[in-house]
Amino acid sequence: MTARMTIPLCLFLALAASACGSAQTEREAQPPGARPPAVYTVGRTLLGLPGHDRVTLAAAPVTPLAGWLTPVAVPSPDGRFVAYNAWRELREDDPALSWEDQGISAGDPLARPSIRLHDLQAGTDSAYVVGAFSLAWRGDGAIAYFKGANRDYRAGVRYVGDVFVRASVNGPPRRWTEQTDRYIVAGWAGPSLLVYRVRAGEALDVLALDGPGKRRVLASDGGLVAISPDGTSALVEHGPEAGQPRVDLIAVSNGTKLASLDLSTVDPAVGVVGYAGDWQGDLVVAPSASGLVVFRVAGSRVELARTMRAAAGQGVAEPRFVGLSRVTGWTSSSSGGAFVDCDRVSARCVRAVPLPDARGVEGFPAWRRPVYNPSRPQEGET
Amino acid sequence: MRIALLAAFVLCWTVGPASAANGWWTFDRNTNLNSTLSWKWTYPPSPAEYSRSWRGGSGTTMDECEIGRGWLPSGWYAQKGHWDHYDGSKVKGRVWWVQDKTCRDGSTRRTELFIHSEETASNSQSCTSTYDDPFCWERESDYYSSGCIKVARPSPVASFPNDLGAAHAAYHDYGGKSAHGAYDTSDANELYVYS
Repeated sequence: MTARMTIPLCLFLALAASACGSAQTEREAQPPGARPPAVYTVGRTLLGLPGHDRVTLAAAPVTPLAGWLTPVAVPSPDGRFVAYNAWRELREDDPALSWEDQGISAGDPLARPSIRLHDLQAGTDSAYVVGAFSLAWRGDGAIAYFKGANRDYRAGVRYVGDVFVRASVNGPPRRWTEQTDRYIVAGWAGPSLLVYRVRAGEALDVLALDGPGKRRVLASDGGLVAISPDGTSALVEHGPEAGQPRVDLIAVSNGTKLASLDLSTVDPAVGVVGYAGDWQGDLVVAPSASGLVVFRVAGSRVELARTMRAAAGQGVAEPRFVGLSRVTGWTSSSSGGAFVDCDRVSARCVRAVPLPDARGVEGFPAWRRPVYNPSRPQEGET
Repeated sequence: MRIALLAAFVLCWTVGPASAANGWWTFDRNTNLNSTLSWKWTYPPSPAEYSRSWRGGSGTTMDECEIGRGWLPSGWYAQKGHWDHYDGSKVKGRVWWVQDKTCRDGSTRRTELFIHSEETASNSQSCTSTYDDPFCWERESDYYSSGCIKVARPSPVASFPNDLGAAHAAYHDYGGKSAHGAYDTSDANELYVYS
């Protein structure tokens, strides 16, 4: 073998070895025991539903205008439907370029959000409300959602609209908001519907809607961590932009602050707390600066129970309790997201990447997001 | 005489008034509390670039996809408008409103994004409470935001530099639009956020 042949061959072998190494690393990222949430999506595939191996949805559940302030998909309380958020891009919008450089003018339609309904019994998948996103399903089957004043999300135009509630999935919609604004539906707390209002500067307010035209501000400049299992209280986080970072326990019925925990007085690993956590028994899990944090809510006290560290620089979103021993969340990755599976006793977190070869659709990466209903109470909970 | 007039005209045209400058913002993300906002400009066709910079803050986390919390996503932004006396519920005074931006996850859109400070619609300060007033620049943590870029200004209770005033002056003196309000047309005074 001449040197002329040997060098390219060695180069090829080295490249092949490094490629195999990458694949191995991906496989090693999911050690035995790392599990995804109970119900979850990977791209258009819905997995983990009892009685269903896997369900293929008509569109990929995504929430571009809500991030993870609201779940991408919510199962109905009776288990028959899954309602989910979809997004149809009307023209490409390259994030690296400005609208001007892409020839996009103010008012140009960019995308059309919609809420779709997948009927698990009939196997159908249809548009439920076009020009809408974010929904919440109450235990008795009432469904709430935000619907835009116009169907399309347009360049330079605030996507304002109203919150509507239907007593049942096929019931007539009733408008619950009096003032058109930017709202994101978060979840039911008993008979009250908790929604976000997004103000200039992306400031978030948590509002309680008690019926048509009955609106209260539950928290200004705050995010909803979780609703108590009985639906009577809510844990709300406040970041450092409006004073000391803290979590407040709020009575949903009248907005009374029942307790507060100043986060600057606890383990510095907590730092700030994020929204979209979970509440099980007297424990609440939430995203934190270093991974996850668990609070104990005892009567009118909130205290730090423990912290769980994620890999450096890895933010964990939408943590959910799974049984009594685990917490799962998700984190973004180059392939569109991975689940983070944490042991509550050891506080050790590992990555779970179900369907690692999944490809995204409609230009999106293969998102891996949990499917859950943050509304409380749910059947079996008091 | 006619030649002298022509020469004077050409000289004025080429050296040019401030409006002949072409300006744009940049934002170099370092930390939520301490990044750098710059106004840069050139006098076309000369490629020579000039700039002024100020400390700026953005977000409370470094996850650019976290709505209401993460710092401003990277990329080029068109400006939607500039106001001297903007009167929003959270954002007031001298502000620049920039376009919505898809973050690095390729899906989530950050919206309602501004360059602003903490001041009233009349460009003054409202410092009345013991800890934090939303329209009073009292302390270091005022650099935090829900996602916008924030720059400091002086207040009766703290002596921060007048960075908002300096940025506003640089914008108007060196190539920023003289118009105020929402821009109907696309705007050349863009913002670039470094990744």
